[in-house]
Amino acid sequence: MIPIIQKKNIPFTISTILFTVSVILLVVVGIKPGIDFTGGTLIQLRFEGERPERAALQTVVEGLELGNVLIQPADSDSHIVKMAYLEEDDHQRLLSSVRTAYESEEYKVVEESVETIGPSISSDLRSRSIKAGLGVVIAIILFIAYSFRKVSKPVSSWKFGITAIIALLHDVIITMGVFVLLGHFLGVEVGIPFVVAMLTILGYSVNDTIVVFDRIREKLMRKEYKNFAETVNVGVNETIPRSINTSVTTLLVLLGLCIFGGESVRFFSLSLVIGIILGTYSSLFLASPLLVWWEKK
Amino acid sequence: MNNQEGTKRAKMRWGMVSIAICFLAMLGFIFPKYTNIAINNINALAYLGLPNISEESFRLGLDLQGGAHLIYEADVQHVAAEDRATAVEGVRDAVERRVNGTGVSEPNVQTARVGEAYRLIVDLPGIENVNEAIKLIGETPVLEFKEENDVPPRALNEEERERITQTNSAAKARSEEVVARAVGGESFEELVSELSEDTTTKNNGGSLGNVEAGLGITDPLYDWAKTHVEGDISETPIETELGYHVLKRGKDGESKEKVSASHILICYFGAQGCEDETYTKESALEKAQELFTQANAENFADLAKEFSTGPSKGAGGDLGSFGRGMMIPAFEEAVFSAEVGQIVGPVETDFGYHVIYKTDVEEVATYGLAHIMSKKLTEREVLPPQDSWKSTELSGKQLERADVAIDPQTGAVQVSLVFDKEGKKLFEDITRRNLNKPVAIFLDGSPISVPTVQAVIGGGEAVITGSFTIPEAQLLSQRLNTGALPVPITLVSQQAIGASLGAESLAKSLHAGIIAIILVMLFMVLYYRLPGVLAVISLSMYIVAALAIFKFIGVTLTLAGIAGFILSIGMAVDANVLIFERMKEELREGKSLKVAVEEGFVRAWTSIRDGNISTLITCVLLIGFGASFVQGFAATLSIGILLSMFSAITITRLFLRAIVPLFSRYGNRLFLGFTEKK
Repeated sequence: MIPIIQKKNIPFTISTILFTVSVILLVVVGIKPGIDFTGGTLIQLRFEGERPERAALQTVVEGLELGNVLIQPADSDSHIVKMAYLEEDDHQRLLSSVRTAYESEEYKVVEESVETIGPSISSDLRSRSIKAGLGVVIAIILFIAYSFRKVSKPVSSWKFGITAIIALLHDVIITMGVFVLLGHFLGVEVGIPFVVAMLTILGYSVNDTIVVFDRIREKLMRKEYKNFAETVNVGVNETIPRSINTSVTTLLVLLGLCIFGGESVRFFSLSLVIGIILGTYSSLFLASPLLVWWEKK
Repeated sequence: MNNQEGTKRAKMRWGMVSIAICFLAMLGFIFPKYTNIAINNINALAYLGLPNISEESFRLGLDLQGGAHLIYEADVQHVAAEDRATAVEGVRDAVERRVNGTGVSEPNVQTARVGEAYRLIVDLPGIENVNEAIKLIGETPVLEFKEENDVPPRALNEEERERITQTNSAAKARSEEVVARAVGGESFEELVSELSEDTTTKNNGGSLGNVEAGLGITDPLYDWAKTHVEGDISETPIETELGYHVLKRGKDGESKEKVSASHILICYFGAQGCEDETYTKESALEKAQELFTQANAENFADLAKEFSTGPSKGAGGDLGSFGRGMMIPAFEEAVFSAEVGQIVGPVETDFGYHVIYKTDVEEVATYGLAHIMSKKLTEREVLPPQDSWKSTELSGKQLERADVAIDPQTGAVQVSLVFDKEGKKLFEDITRRNLNKPVAIFLDGSPISVPTVQAVIGGGEAVITGSFTIPEAQLLSQRLNTGALPVPITLVSQQAIGASLGAESLAKSLHAGIIAIILVMLFMVLYYRLPGVLAVISLSMYIVAALAIFKFIGVTLTLAGIAGFILSIGMAVDANVLIFERMKEELREGKSLKVAVEEGFVRAWTSIRDGNISTLITCVLLIGFGASFVQGFAATLSIGILLSMFSAITITRLFLRAIVPLFSRYGNRLFLGFTEKK
């Protein structure tokens, strides 16, 4: 049996450091918002002929004076052009000038995908994300309060609830912290998929914590062990195989998605991978020791 | 006892058989092509005449099959709040009719309300030329019927007048301050960038360029410039309608040519702004030609007074003096190329035919000027000008048909409009309300025809008379027939994905899914042995059932949807893991295999239920979020979770119960790798 409760200071220290660093990163550096939230244009161009140099394409597009342009190479034959929101006329102007510069009879320039998001849509997505986030958090708090309503001794049910919430905040904030770094160093931007991933992690993290608490609740009812700390420790230890196995199966599918699923779901599945690892860790090594620590105070 | 055991076993056997049948049926439903081959083979052998099943495939989202997703915002600010929803429905119908004509299979047009904004979402699966589609939708005409705005324009009230006076005297004080500082020796350029309230010139040293005479607002500035030399700075603020200006005189500019001319306009029925029905286009040209031959310097003013249909008629056709850029191009060209004293014509413009007499030409000096402005508050800012027309409920929405027609009396080309039942009623009301008053027909925001109502019209037919040629009228009636919008719309977002990119994404995500499933299955078998094999069988059934449900209820599979489904596979295994871990514990405690199986299911159930509920809550809220990425993900994930709870506790349990009697009382190595008793 692993002495999880006795050695609780190790996970406490690790989590506190990670959490604090993440909060600082979020406040000081900030997460990099994608065009879902800022509005803008994303065009993927595939060049059937030789792919032009980034700088050359940049000059062509900047020549239209449509604001800042960011060019990112994609695959082996494409470029992704990122810029401010374009009206349809400007979009066509951009396409035709790129085509004039790089298209020939046999080698076409193909617009593989285009996404333009106007200011009204992006502000709407921003407010809807915030609403959805708040909605999920409130619903989950209510659910936790409901599912632990019967446990009252020796720990009141709201302590279970608050501990579960601390654990899920921990998971989500640290995942966001990782994405601040990804944004800063690799230019990874977060959009709606990221919000969905965060909300899914909220659900998943609570799921994990509830399973652990459920076991503790059962042990408490049977009154087999002499004190609360020991009861919790046995409960958590009994849940470890389940928690690890469930995470492993979920992580296996997500890694499949992350590696083979293509560009568009890569960072979506990566954020889920990080969140689920954290969720498993926090439900075992953070939430339950926290419960004991709080009870002793 | 034995008997009871017997019925239990019989029940179980039936359970297994029905699961197997369901599995095959669903598999057949997912792969209709192979099913039909099988059905045809059976038919060929046994002459049963079984019907083939539909070969419809999964509904794929735009990101997987390629296509365009366009979001338009409807401009409903001129529509009364309670009519907005119906107006937007009208837009939806019109746009749908339009896109249906493009040959796109299964286009989907829906409306959405977000706060105060009304949106139109157009999905065009598989479309190759998005630009064409956008153009086509953009060309959908906006047809509105408006009546005169009889709400009298409001005069400024006491409070507003007071505000204007106060603001303006403050502006004057500021301007005097600028003068004082300029006189005190501060650099004019620095004062501009610090103090000028004219945002357009603030950043280029206040330069107004070369100011001409006779432009109205800037005339006081021009007058000052005329009496000063380069480098002078005004010693008092100069007042214009817009504000108080401190000026600095620049270099003299190039002088501009200004001409004076008179004209006689012969407008014809249908020309812009023409309310005179005397002439058709042909007879107008004839009349103008006749006047041109008749006219000379002496009789020009009289002829103008007698025959001109233009507003300058009373002044003998005199237009005063004007520079380039102030008249419409054809007219300007004719005047500036003529000699002084020459009469030219007939010149055709949108207003009709002109005969022009050029009376004078002069060179007018221009002066370079820079200014520092202190803004006044104008009446126009306090009280915006009133629209002279107000909307009625009648619009393109109630239009049933449009045709090209020729007026039998004048021969003018018209577009006739036939309204639907609701439109007939509305049109009758409008004509009754506006008897002997003008009613305007607006197309794409500008009036194209302003007829005066002569009688109440009950038959629901109206005509648009404009200066149409027959092809123009045909085009307009065609556009109106394919759908006229009651309110204008603008494109605010588009997402288009090429078919090849979509196919690539589909292939990649399927590849990822298959690998993920194989990994999970391997893990389960290696870790849990025989029960793991059973879990794999129940997982396969779960996958088949989930796919059959997606297909049956028509879930649109997007990339996010596939991700959600793959994630749900990981979570589906969770239920089995919980149950098996429980069983292991029960076995460890020395319980018999049979008891351990039953206990394992019962004890694990609360955890399975509670754990999944939290994910389901998240999914429900996500579906409410609205964006398609989110909905696709949440829909497949929640269907998957619900189904997995069912499959784990029914199918796996049935299998386990079926095999338990085959083993010794306490199980063996095949069960969970656990043999010893505690």
